[in-house]
Amino acid sequence: MRRIYAYFISLLVFLSAAELVAQDTVLFPLKIRLGFDLVGPGMYIYDNDHLSMEGYVSFDKSEKMSFVLEGGYADYRYTQYNYDYQSSGIFTRIGVDFNFLKPEISKGKYWAGLGLRYGLSIYNSMTPTYEQENYWGTFSSSIPESSGTGHFLEAAPGFRTELLRNLSLGWTLRLKFLLSGGGGKDLKPIYLPGYGNGEKITTLGINYYISWSIPYKTKRVITKPVVVEEPDETEEEEVVQQGSGFR
Amino acid sequence: MKRLSYFFPALIFIYYSLHLVSCTPAACFEETNAYLKASFYINSTKQKLPPDSVTLSGLGQTEKIYNKASGLQPALFPLNSSSSSSTFVIRINGIDDTIEFNHSSFPHLISKECGYSVFHSLEMHTFSQHNIDTILIINRNITTVNEENIRIFY
Repeated sequence: MRRIYAYFISLLVFLSAAELVAQDTVLFPLKIRLGFDLVGPGMYIYDNDHLSMEGYVSFDKSEKMSFVLEGGYADYRYTQYNYDYQSSGIFTRIGVDFNFLKPEISKGKYWAGLGLRYGLSIYNSMTPTYEQENYWGTFSSSIPESSGTGHFLEAAPGFRTELLRNLSLGWTLRLKFLLSGGGGKDLKPIYLPGYGNGEKITTLGINYYISWSIPYKTKRVITKPVVVEEPDETEEEEVVQQGSGFR
Repeated sequence: MKRLSYFFPALIFIYYSLHLVSCTPAACFEETNAYLKASFYINSTKQKLPPDSVTLSGLGQTEKIYNKASGLQPALFPLNSSSSSSTFVIRINGIDDTIEFNHSSFPHLISKECGYSVFHSLEMHTFSQHNIDTILIINRNITTVNEENIRIFY
Protein backbone atom coordinates (compact mmCIF):
# COMPACT_ATOMS: atom_id res chain seq x y z
CA MET A 1 0.00 0.00 0.00
CA ARG A 2 2.85 2.39 0.90
CA ARG A 3 4.43 1.68 -2.42
CA ILE A 4 1.27 2.59 -4.22
CA TYR A 5 1.09 5.91 -2.32
CA ALA A 6 4.75 6.58 -3.00
CA TYR A 7 4.30 5.81 -6.67
CA PHE A 8 1.20 8.02 -6.94
CA ILE A 9 2.83 10.97 -5.16
CA SER A 10 5.97 10.70 -7.25
CA LEU A 11 3.81 10.63 -10.38
CA LEU A 12 2.06 13.82 -9.30
CA VAL A 13 5.38 15.49 -8.54
CA PHE A 14 6.68 14.45 -11.93
CA LEU A 15 3.61 15.77 -13.76
CA SER A 16 3.60 19.06 -11.90
CA ALA A 17 7.31 19.46 -12.51
CA ALA A 18 6.70 19.04 -16.20
CA GLU A 19 4.25 21.95 -16.09
CA LEU A 20 6.38 24.27 -14.07
CA VAL A 21 6.28 27.70 -15.63
CA ALA A 22 7.94 30.99 -15.15
CA GLN A 23 5.27 33.62 -15.71
CA ASP A 24 5.95 36.84 -17.65
CA THR A 25 3.76 39.72 -16.57
CA VAL A 26 3.12 43.27 -17.68
CA LEU A 27 1.57 46.07 -15.74
CA PHE A 28 -1.48 47.12 -17.72
CA PRO A 29 -3.19 50.42 -16.86
CA LEU A 30 -6.98 50.12 -16.93
CA LYS A 31 -8.54 53.43 -17.94
CA ILE A 32 -11.67 55.45 -18.16
CA ARG A 33 -11.76 57.32 -21.45
CA LEU A 34 -13.65 60.36 -22.63
CA GLY A 35 -13.68 61.01 -26.36
CA PHE A 36 -15.09 63.51 -28.82
CA ASP A 37 -15.68 62.93 -32.51
CA LEU A 38 -14.04 65.26 -35.00
CA VAL A 39 -15.68 63.96 -38.19
CA GLY A 40 -19.15 65.40 -37.50
CA PRO A 41 -18.00 69.00 -36.92
CA GLY A 42 -15.56 68.61 -39.83
CA MET A 43 -18.36 67.49 -42.09
CA TYR A 44 -20.44 70.49 -41.03
CA ILE A 45 -17.81 72.81 -42.53
CA TYR A 46 -18.43 71.19 -45.91
CA ASP A 47 -22.14 70.64 -45.53
CA ASN A 48 -24.08 73.13 -43.40
CA ASP A 49 -27.23 71.06 -43.72
CA HIS A 50 -25.82 68.20 -41.69
CA LEU A 51 -24.59 68.63 -38.13
CA SER A 52 -23.62 65.62 -36.06
CA MET A 53 -21.83 65.87 -32.73
CA GLU A 54 -20.99 62.91 -30.59
CA GLY A 55 -18.76 61.65 -27.83
CA TYR A 56 -18.16 58.60 -25.73
CA VAL A 57 -17.19 57.29 -22.34
CA SER A 58 -15.46 53.94 -22.01
CA PHE A 59 -14.45 51.90 -19.03
CA ASP A 60 -11.80 49.18 -19.24
CA LYS A 61 -13.08 46.03 -17.63
CA SER A 62 -9.90 44.19 -18.49
CA GLU A 63 -6.96 44.47 -20.87
CA LYS A 64 -9.16 42.88 -23.55
CA MET A 65 -12.58 44.42 -23.03
CA SER A 66 -14.12 47.81 -22.36
CA PHE A 67 -17.68 48.94 -21.76
CA VAL A 68 -18.66 51.86 -23.99
CA LEU A 69 -21.43 54.44 -23.84
CA GLU A 70 -21.76 56.87 -26.74
CA GLY A 71 -24.14 59.73 -27.25
CA GLY A 72 -24.75 62.57 -29.63
CA TYR A 73 -27.00 65.03 -31.36
CA ALA A 74 -27.74 65.40 -35.04
CA ASP A 75 -29.55 67.94 -37.16
CA TYR A 76 -30.22 67.19 -40.83
CA ARG A 77 -31.84 69.11 -43.66
CA TYR A 78 -32.31 67.95 -47.21
CA THR A 79 -33.81 69.74 -50.17
CA GLN A 80 -34.63 68.31 -53.54
CA TYR A 81 -36.65 69.58 -56.50
CA ASN A 82 -39.87 67.97 -55.22
CA TYR A 83 -39.55 68.01 -51.42
CA ASP A 84 -37.84 69.43 -48.33
CA TYR A 85 -36.98 67.33 -45.32
CA GLN A 86 -35.81 68.07 -41.78
CA SER A 87 -34.80 65.76 -38.97
CA SER A 88 -33.14 66.32 -35.62
CA GLY A 89 -32.67 64.26 -32.53
CA ILE A 90 -30.42 62.51 -30.10
CA PHE A 91 -28.89 59.08 -30.17
CA THR A 92 -27.04 56.77 -27.87
CA ARG A 93 -25.08 53.58 -28.37
CA ILE A 94 -24.09 51.09 -25.77
CA GLY A 95 -21.75 48.16 -26.17
CA VAL A 96 -18.30 46.72 -25.76
CA ASP A 97 -14.88 47.11 -27.36
CA PHE A 98 -12.60 44.14 -27.76
CA ASN A 99 -8.87 44.74 -28.03
CA PHE A 100 -7.19 42.23 -30.32
CA LEU A 101 -3.68 43.38 -29.40
CA LYS A 102 -1.63 41.43 -26.88
CA PRO A 103 -1.22 43.25 -23.56
CA GLU A 104 2.55 43.52 -24.00
CA ILE A 105 1.98 45.30 -27.33
CA SER A 106 -1.05 47.29 -26.29
CA LYS A 107 0.33 48.45 -22.92
CA GLY A 108 -2.87 50.44 -22.48
CA LYS A 109 -1.68 52.85 -25.17
CA TYR A 110 -2.74 51.13 -28.37
CA TRP A 111 -6.01 49.62 -29.33
CA ALA A 112 -6.87 47.69 -32.46
CA GLY A 113 -10.05 45.75 -32.30
CA LEU A 114 -13.74 45.53 -32.78
CA GLY A 115 -16.62 47.27 -31.09
CA LEU A 116 -20.15 45.94 -30.92
CA ARG A 117 -23.00 48.34 -30.25
CA TYR A 118 -26.72 48.62 -29.85
CA GLY A 119 -27.98 52.03 -30.95
CA LEU A 120 -31.09 53.98 -30.09
CA SER A 121 -32.18 57.08 -31.98
CA ILE A 122 -34.93 59.43 -30.84
CA TYR A 123 -35.81 62.04 -33.40
CA ASN A 124 -38.35 64.51 -34.77
CA SER A 125 -38.81 64.79 -38.50
CA MET A 126 -41.00 66.78 -40.83
CA THR A 127 -41.49 67.45 -44.51
CA PRO A 128 -42.37 71.13 -44.89
CA THR A 129 -43.30 70.69 -48.56
CA TYR A 130 -43.57 67.97 -51.14
CA GLU A 131 -44.97 68.04 -54.63
CA GLN A 132 -46.22 65.53 -57.11
CA GLU A 133 -47.35 66.00 -60.66
CA ASN A 134 -49.91 63.81 -62.35
CA TYR A 135 -52.82 64.01 -64.77
CA TRP A 136 -54.87 66.23 -62.45
CA GLY A 137 -52.10 68.80 -62.03
CA THR A 138 -49.50 69.52 -59.41
CA PHE A 139 -50.38 68.34 -55.94
CA SER A 140 -48.51 69.95 -53.09
CA SER A 141 -48.75 69.25 -49.40
CA SER A 142 -46.67 68.83 -46.24
CA ILE A 143 -46.14 66.26 -43.55
CA PRO A 144 -46.29 67.73 -40.05
CA GLU A 145 -43.59 67.13 -37.45
CA SER A 146 -43.70 63.77 -35.79
CA SER A 147 -41.42 61.93 -33.43
CA GLY A 148 -39.96 58.50 -33.97
CA THR A 149 -37.60 55.99 -32.46
CA GLY A 150 -35.06 53.88 -34.30
CA HIS A 151 -33.02 50.88 -33.22
CA PHE A 152 -29.84 49.59 -34.83
CA LEU A 153 -26.78 47.43 -34.31
CA GLU A 154 -23.21 48.21 -35.18
CA ALA A 155 -19.95 46.41 -35.76
CA ALA A 156 -17.15 48.94 -35.37
CA PRO A 157 -13.57 47.96 -36.14
CA GLY A 158 -10.93 50.59 -35.49
CA PHE A 159 -7.60 51.74 -34.14
CA ARG A 160 -6.50 54.07 -31.37
CA THR A 161 -3.04 55.36 -30.50
CA GLU A 162 -1.81 57.32 -27.52
CA LEU A 163 0.11 60.26 -28.94
CA LEU A 164 0.69 62.22 -25.76
CA ARG A 165 0.38 61.05 -22.18
CA ASN A 166 -3.26 60.00 -21.73
CA LEU A 167 -4.26 61.72 -24.98
CA SER A 168 -5.22 59.43 -27.84
CA LEU A 169 -6.36 59.67 -31.42
CA GLY A 170 -8.20 56.91 -33.16
CA TRP A 171 -10.66 56.09 -35.85
CA THR A 172 -13.56 53.75 -36.07
CA LEU A 173 -15.46 52.44 -39.05
CA ARG A 174 -19.09 51.72 -38.37
CA LEU A 175 -21.06 49.06 -40.17
CA LYS A 176 -24.66 49.70 -39.17
CA PHE A 177 -27.63 47.38 -39.38
CA LEU A 178 -31.11 48.81 -38.98
CA LEU A 179 -33.53 46.90 -36.76
CA SER A 180 -36.36 49.42 -37.05
CA GLY A 181 -36.44 53.05 -38.09
CA GLY A 182 -39.88 54.17 -37.01
CA GLY A 183 -42.28 56.06 -39.25
CA GLY A 184 -44.12 52.96 -40.42
CA LYS A 185 -43.95 51.53 -43.92
CA ASP A 186 -45.09 54.73 -45.62
CA LEU A 187 -43.01 57.38 -43.92
CA LYS A 188 -39.63 55.85 -43.29
CA PRO A 189 -37.18 58.46 -42.02
CA ILE A 190 -34.81 59.76 -44.65
CA TYR A 191 -32.33 60.48 -41.89
CA LEU A 192 -32.01 58.73 -38.56
CA PRO A 193 -29.65 60.47 -36.07
CA GLY A 194 -26.70 58.21 -35.29
CA TYR A 195 -27.58 55.85 -38.14
CA GLY A 196 -27.97 57.76 -41.42
CA ASN A 197 -30.37 56.93 -44.21
CA GLY A 198 -33.36 55.26 -42.56
CA GLU A 199 -34.53 53.71 -45.84
CA LYS A 200 -31.48 51.49 -46.03
CA ILE A 201 -31.00 48.34 -43.97
CA THR A 202 -27.24 48.88 -43.78
CA THR A 203 -25.20 52.07 -43.75
CA LEU A 204 -21.57 52.95 -43.23
CA GLY A 205 -20.15 55.55 -40.89
CA ILE A 206 -16.82 56.76 -39.64
CA ASN A 207 -15.57 58.55 -36.57
CA TYR A 208 -12.26 60.09 -35.64
CA TYR A 209 -11.99 60.48 -31.92
CA ILE A 210 -9.72 62.52 -29.77
CA SER A 211 -9.74 60.90 -26.34
CA TRP A 212 -8.55 61.74 -22.90
CA SER A 213 -7.97 58.82 -20.58
CA ILE A 214 -7.81 58.53 -16.82
CA PRO A 215 -5.97 55.46 -15.46
CA TYR A 216 -7.90 54.15 -12.49
CA LYS A 217 -6.17 50.86 -11.76
CA THR A 218 -3.06 48.95 -12.76
CA LYS A 219 -3.55 45.31 -13.49
CA ARG A 220 -0.79 42.71 -13.53
CA VAL A 221 -1.47 40.74 -16.67
CA ILE A 222 0.14 37.36 -17.24
CA THR A 223 1.53 37.26 -20.73
CA LYS A 224 2.66 34.16 -22.58
CA PRO A 225 3.99 31.76 -19.95
CA VAL A 226 7.47 30.34 -20.50
CA VAL A 227 7.60 26.58 -19.97
CA VAL A 228 10.67 25.34 -18.11
CA GLU A 229 12.41 22.87 -20.34
CA GLU A 230 12.75 19.36 -18.99
CA PRO A 231 16.19 17.79 -19.03
CA ASP A 232 16.94 15.56 -22.00
CA GLU A 233 16.02 11.91 -21.71
CA THR A 234 19.59 10.86 -22.54
CA GLU A 235 20.94 12.91 -19.62
CA GLU A 236 18.31 11.34 -17.36
CA GLU A 237 19.31 7.87 -18.44
CA GLU A 238 22.95 8.63 -17.76
CA VAL A 239 22.12 9.80 -14.25
CA VAL A 240 20.12 6.64 -13.63
CA GLN A 241 22.98 4.46 -14.89
CA GLN A 242 25.46 6.32 -12.70
CA GLY A 243 23.14 5.92 -9.72
CA SER A 244 22.80 2.23 -10.33
CA GLY A 245 26.58 1.95 -10.38
CA PHE A 246 26.71 2.83 -6.70
CA ARG A 247 24.54 -0.06 -5.74
CA MET B 1 0.30 51.39 -34.70
CA LYS B 2 0.77 55.15 -35.04
CA ARG B 3 0.95 54.72 -38.78
CA LEU B 4 -2.52 53.26 -38.72
CA SER B 5 -3.81 56.39 -37.04
CA TYR B 6 -1.96 58.60 -39.48
CA PHE B 7 -3.56 56.60 -42.28
CA PHE B 8 -6.81 58.14 -41.21
CA PRO B 9 -6.60 61.40 -43.21
CA ALA B 10 -6.71 59.37 -46.42
CA LEU B 11 -9.68 57.46 -45.11
CA ILE B 12 -11.51 60.63 -44.09
CA PHE B 13 -10.83 62.18 -47.48
CA ILE B 14 -12.47 59.22 -49.17
CA TYR B 15 -15.38 59.41 -46.76
CA TYR B 16 -15.88 63.15 -47.33
CA SER B 17 -15.78 62.56 -51.07
CA LEU B 18 -18.40 59.84 -50.83
CA HIS B 19 -20.50 62.03 -48.56
CA LEU B 20 -20.38 64.96 -50.97
CA VAL B 21 -21.38 62.67 -53.80
CA SER B 22 -24.26 61.32 -51.70
CA CYS B 23 -25.42 64.89 -50.95
CA THR B 24 -25.81 65.60 -54.63
CA PRO B 25 -29.42 64.85 -55.59
CA ALA B 26 -29.37 61.59 -57.49
CA ALA B 27 -31.62 60.65 -60.38
CA CYS B 28 -34.90 58.92 -59.67
CA PHE B 29 -35.51 55.74 -61.65
CA GLU B 30 -38.56 54.48 -59.79
CA GLU B 31 -42.25 54.85 -60.57
CA THR B 32 -43.60 57.68 -58.46
CA ASN B 33 -47.25 57.78 -59.55
CA ALA B 34 -49.72 55.41 -57.93
CA TYR B 35 -52.29 54.40 -60.55
CA LEU B 36 -55.47 52.45 -60.12
CA LYS B 37 -54.94 49.41 -62.36
CA ALA B 38 -58.05 48.14 -64.13
CA SER B 39 -58.31 44.95 -66.16
CA PHE B 40 -61.04 44.40 -68.76
CA TYR B 41 -63.19 41.29 -68.91
CA ILE B 42 -65.94 40.18 -71.30
CA ASN B 43 -69.07 39.87 -69.18
CA SER B 44 -70.67 37.04 -71.15
CA THR B 45 -67.65 34.71 -71.08
CA LYS B 46 -65.81 36.18 -68.03
CA GLN B 47 -62.67 36.09 -70.16
CA LYS B 48 -59.94 38.65 -69.71
CA LEU B 49 -59.97 40.55 -72.98
CA PRO B 50 -59.15 44.19 -73.81
CA PRO B 51 -61.80 46.21 -75.68
CA ASP B 52 -61.23 47.17 -79.29
CA SER B 53 -61.16 50.82 -78.32
CA VAL B 54 -60.85 52.69 -75.00
CA THR B 55 -60.98 56.44 -74.48
CA LEU B 56 -60.49 57.70 -70.96
CA SER B 57 -60.49 61.17 -69.46
CA GLY B 58 -61.11 62.78 -66.10
CA LEU B 59 -64.45 64.51 -65.66
CA GLY B 60 -64.00 68.19 -66.49
CA GLN B 61 -60.56 67.60 -68.04
CA THR B 62 -59.88 68.34 -71.67
CA GLU B 63 -56.79 66.17 -71.90
CA LYS B 64 -57.41 62.48 -72.54
CA ILE B 65 -55.58 59.76 -70.66
CA TYR B 66 -56.19 57.27 -73.48
CA ASN B 67 -57.60 58.10 -76.88
CA LYS B 68 -59.10 55.17 -78.78
CA ALA B 69 -56.47 52.88 -77.38
CA SER B 70 -56.63 49.30 -78.54
CA GLY B 71 -55.30 46.22 -76.76
CA LEU B 72 -55.23 48.16 -73.49
CA GLN B 73 -54.67 45.81 -70.58
CA PRO B 74 -54.61 47.10 -67.87
CA ALA B 75 -55.84 50.69 -67.97
CA LEU B 76 -54.15 53.03 -65.53
CA PHE B 77 -56.47 55.49 -63.78
CA PRO B 78 -54.64 58.42 -62.14
CA LEU B 79 -56.57 59.33 -59.01
CA ASN B 80 -56.87 62.95 -57.93
CA SER B 81 -54.70 63.45 -54.82
CA SER B 82 -56.28 66.85 -54.14
CA SER B 83 -59.74 65.38 -53.77
CA SER B 84 -61.40 62.47 -51.99
CA SER B 85 -63.09 61.37 -55.21
CA SER B 86 -62.01 60.99 -58.81
CA THR B 87 -64.52 60.77 -61.66
CA PHE B 88 -63.68 59.42 -65.09
CA VAL B 89 -65.51 59.22 -68.38
CA ILE B 90 -64.65 55.98 -70.12
CA ARG B 91 -65.69 55.15 -73.68
CA ILE B 92 -65.50 51.40 -74.31
CA ASN B 93 -66.06 50.44 -77.92
CA GLY B 94 -67.81 53.74 -78.61
CA ILE B 95 -70.19 53.74 -75.62
CA ASP B 96 -69.64 56.20 -72.76
CA ASP B 97 -69.79 55.34 -69.07
CA THR B 98 -68.90 57.30 -65.95
CA ILE B 99 -67.02 55.84 -63.02
CA GLU B 100 -66.55 57.62 -59.72
CA PHE B 101 -64.01 56.39 -57.17
CA ASN B 102 -64.06 57.56 -53.57
CA HIS B 103 -60.70 57.23 -51.92
CA SER B 104 -58.50 58.40 -49.09
CA SER B 105 -54.98 59.56 -49.91
CA PHE B 106 -51.78 59.55 -47.91
CA PRO B 107 -48.09 60.29 -48.61
CA HIS B 108 -45.59 57.51 -49.08
CA LEU B 109 -41.82 57.90 -49.28
CA ILE B 110 -40.57 56.25 -52.45
CA SER B 111 -36.90 56.96 -51.78
CA LYS B 112 -34.56 59.78 -50.87
CA GLU B 113 -33.87 60.27 -54.59
CA CYS B 114 -37.51 60.22 -55.74
CA GLY B 115 -39.23 61.86 -52.81
CA TYR B 116 -42.85 61.23 -51.98
CA SER B 117 -45.74 59.73 -53.84
CA VAL B 118 -49.39 59.80 -52.85
CA PHE B 119 -50.93 56.40 -52.27
CA HIS B 120 -54.68 55.83 -52.03
CA SER B 121 -57.10 53.51 -50.39
CA LEU B 122 -60.19 52.76 -52.43
CA GLU B 123 -63.34 53.16 -50.36
CA MET B 124 -66.28 52.87 -52.75
CA HIS B 125 -67.18 53.35 -56.37
CA THR B 126 -70.24 54.12 -58.48
CA PHE B 127 -70.63 53.74 -62.22
CA SER B 128 -73.16 54.00 -65.02
CA GLN B 129 -74.10 50.79 -66.83
CA HIS B 130 -74.34 51.70 -70.49
CA ASN B 131 -71.65 49.30 -71.56
CA ILE B 132 -70.16 48.32 -68.20
CA ASP B 133 -71.95 45.50 -66.43
CA THR B 134 -69.95 45.14 -63.22
CA ILE B 135 -66.83 46.52 -61.53
CA LEU B 136 -65.16 44.24 -59.01
CA ILE B 137 -62.63 45.55 -56.51
CA ILE B 138 -59.69 43.16 -56.20
CA ASN B 139 -57.26 45.24 -54.18
CA ARG B 140 -58.18 48.49 -52.45
CA ASN B 141 -54.57 49.65 -51.99
CA ILE B 142 -53.53 51.93 -54.83
CA THR B 143 -49.73 51.98 -54.84
CA THR B 144 -46.87 52.01 -57.31
CA VAL B 145 -46.78 48.21 -57.24
CA ASN B 146 -48.03 46.61 -60.42
CA GLU B 147 -51.07 44.86 -58.96
CA GLU B 148 -54.60 44.62 -60.35
CA ASN B 149 -57.01 46.81 -58.38
CA ILE B 150 -60.33 46.44 -60.20
CA ARG B 151 -61.94 44.31 -62.91
CA ILE B 152 -64.28 45.96 -65.41
CA PHE B 153 -66.78 43.59 -66.99
CA TYR B 154 -68.23 45.00 -70.22
